[in-house]
Amino acid sequence: MFRMVDMQVIESLKQLKQINIDYYLAAHGARQNGKFVAYVNAFTPVELLYAMDFIPIYPENHAVILGARKLSSETAAAAEGMGYSMDLCSYARCDLGSIRIGVSPTWGLPKPDILIVSNSQCSTLTKWFEVLARMYKAPMVLLDVPHSGDGERDAAAEEYVQGQLEDLAKTLENITKKTLDTTKLHETIELSQEASDLWTRILETGQAIPAPMSVFDQFISMAPIVAQRGTRVPVDFYRCLLDELEQRIQNEIGAVPNERHRLFWDNLPIWPELRRLSLFLAERGVCLVTSLYTWAWARLSVGAQNPFRDWTDQYLYTANLHLQRRIDDYVELAQRYSLDGFLYHSNRSCKFVSQDIPEVKVAVTKRTGLPGLILEADHNDPRLYSVEVLENQIDNFLDVLASRKKQAS
Amino acid sequence: MNDNEPWEPFEKMVATRWDRSRTYKQETGCKVVGHLLPDVPEELIHAAGGLPVAVWGAGVAMSHAQAHIPGYTCSHAMGALELGFRQELDFLDGMVIPYVCDTTRNMFHIWQQCFPSKKNEFLRLPKRLDYDGAGVYLRREFERLFASIKALCGVAAGPDDLSKSIALFNKGRDLLRKAYSRQKDDPMVWTQARVIHLFESWFLSPKEEHIALMEKLPWGSEEQGGSGERIPIYVRGKVWDPAAILDLFDELKFVLVQDEVVTGYRVAARDGSLDGDPIDALVDRFMKTPPYPGYHFDPERMRESFVERVKTSGAKGVIFLNPKFCEAAGFDTPDFQKGLEEKGIPSIVLETSTRGAAMEQLKVRLEAFREIISEDLP
Repeated sequence: MFRMVDMQVIESLKQLKQINIDYYLAAHGARQNGKFVAYVNAFTPVELLYAMDFIPIYPENHAVILGARKLSSETAAAAEGMGYSMDLCSYARCDLGSIRIGVSPTWGLPKPDILIVSNSQCSTLTKWFEVLARMYKAPMVLLDVPHSGDGERDAAAEEYVQGQLEDLAKTLENITKKTLDTTKLHETIELSQEASDLWTRILETGQAIPAPMSVFDQFISMAPIVAQRGTRVPVDFYRCLLDELEQRIQNEIGAVPNERHRLFWDNLPIWPELRRLSLFLAERGVCLVTSLYTWAWARLSVGAQNPFRDWTDQYLYTANLHLQRRIDDYVELAQRYSLDGFLYHSNRSCKFVSQDIPEVKVAVTKRTGLPGLILEADHNDPRLYSVEVLENQIDNFLDVLASRKKQAS
Repeated sequence: MNDNEPWEPFEKMVATRWDRSRTYKQETGCKVVGHLLPDVPEELIHAAGGLPVAVWGAGVAMSHAQAHIPGYTCSHAMGALELGFRQELDFLDGMVIPYVCDTTRNMFHIWQQCFPSKKNEFLRLPKRLDYDGAGVYLRREFERLFASIKALCGVAAGPDDLSKSIALFNKGRDLLRKAYSRQKDDPMVWTQARVIHLFESWFLSPKEEHIALMEKLPWGSEEQGGSGERIPIYVRGKVWDPAAILDLFDELKFVLVQDEVVTGYRVAARDGSLDGDPIDALVDRFMKTPPYPGYHFDPERMRESFVERVKTSGAKGVIFLNPKFCEAAGFDTPDFQKGLEEKGIPSIVLETSTRGAAMEQLKVRLEAFREIISEDLP
């Protein structure tokens, strides 16, 4: 049993429940309100979709909710019963299994008018969306983004990606039977920029000592920047959240009472253990102050001048977090956030972000002198790890951190 | 001459993997460029005077690689890394890693980090096969790769050299197709293990030599019967893993009528055109080759066209030889199986990896599958 530590709750986060309810209700009522539904993933132009009366829906977010509500074992197992191997992404298994057995806290997801997927996030989503496209007999558009190996500019790839984005706009026009209203697009882009700026400033509050918000709270509050970028919702919510965090900094209120160790969290969360690990670490005075995953959403705004050009650059270069850049970023974050160490989640369900972790860890430790711990788990399937083993590993790691601090002092 | 003599060089090449490439380099001083298989146009390397050689890690026991890449990685990629650490690939001057999935993308960076002294290239293959811009993009990517390999080899090769390479490769592919066909007509001599060894060794030796050796095969052998008792099957997979599965097919009297394995029929399914621009010919060949699971076009069409290919082949059953941890193959399989089922074609999934597949277990499952198919035969 955990001893409840004296954590001072962030009041703004209480708005999230209603924000999420409103979002899913709007999605389910899309057709009655003359709107369309598009299934999307990260690195798709949601500002364009909102401007063209589409509500973007993230099957990944649906899977997250299943995981956080402890429904992932049941839904993932249902997908395995459909023939999907346990080695496949657990987000996909949970979502497909949920459709199969009708278990969903969001009343399922509305059927899509189109599925749009960008493989600059990962290739798994393309395959998952192919399954959904066959299931719903809906059209699917892949935004094929050839990863420039080390981030070098590639004119041929730029033409290829921008051409696909421009064609996507035409496809959306064909579905809605309306032409793209550029004034409306500029509005959604401005709102998206504002939300991204606010989100960036929220993430930067983690530099304060003590950090007013932990990565666990960042994970919970991500939904609006992911799904509603381009609307007023994230702007209003993040402005309120930022005000509260700035107030907490002024009053020296930390996310974790008696903050002793400041750590980085690499990769996606372990959603089914979010609360448990949050309390476990808080009890030990450990605050996760920044993470790769939450920063990904701070880099997604585009300019209204030439958005197609900007989306192209973003998907090709910003989203291309290749090994060397990842190492450089982590080294920089170590300094900016006064880190004591790194927790790397080697995530069985996300090979894309996990396979190079051993190389990242060695290089980052070499350059910063900071230790790191690799935790092998899964972002949504609790059958693939033991939380007790993870906690033991973390405890041992904290002993190392404590002895390092002792030696240093 | 014993009956096995013409086949021995191929068996030896497969058994010793890179020995011939290594000695060839010593003899000629040419540059050797390795690659991780799917759809790397070897003609570009050949035309530049280099020796292309495929690296596949399936079947390799792991030791060093586990410190550099997690265990939930397919054995093809993990094994290739292991071979690098064992210094078995030291003779390679360059390495081309094709971007066909998330693992190959990560592999490129890990490989580069671990083996920076080689000329490493990431071949960014487009995934969107039903989009015109993909061909335009691929042409420029092939040009970029060609320029890089020419620089490595120090050779100023041009379109004529590339056309000559395509013609040579077409000659080899023609023989490979004929050999594949012979296994159906004369399965006692042209066993599946022997024929697939021809395909695998194609990637492990100089093409001129390979073609000369293939020409010595017993093309005139008389049909010895037995094909009528065999059950025609279709295989979808990455590489022949475990390698002994081919002997199992022979033993259980299955006969491969078609496959989509990258070290199988897919190698020879399409020739490069000799009319027009040779790089366009390679692009066209890529676009028309049966798609690798990581590629995309209309999802319903993906399933339908697969079922059509199986039906056209005359196969009575399909084996999905899915590498463990391969997401592309894993997501396709249930829907593809459903499509086959609707047409009354039975199928089986064998999730294989040297770390997980036991031959006895595979045998039992394939025997049961054979019985299921046999009941459907007239």
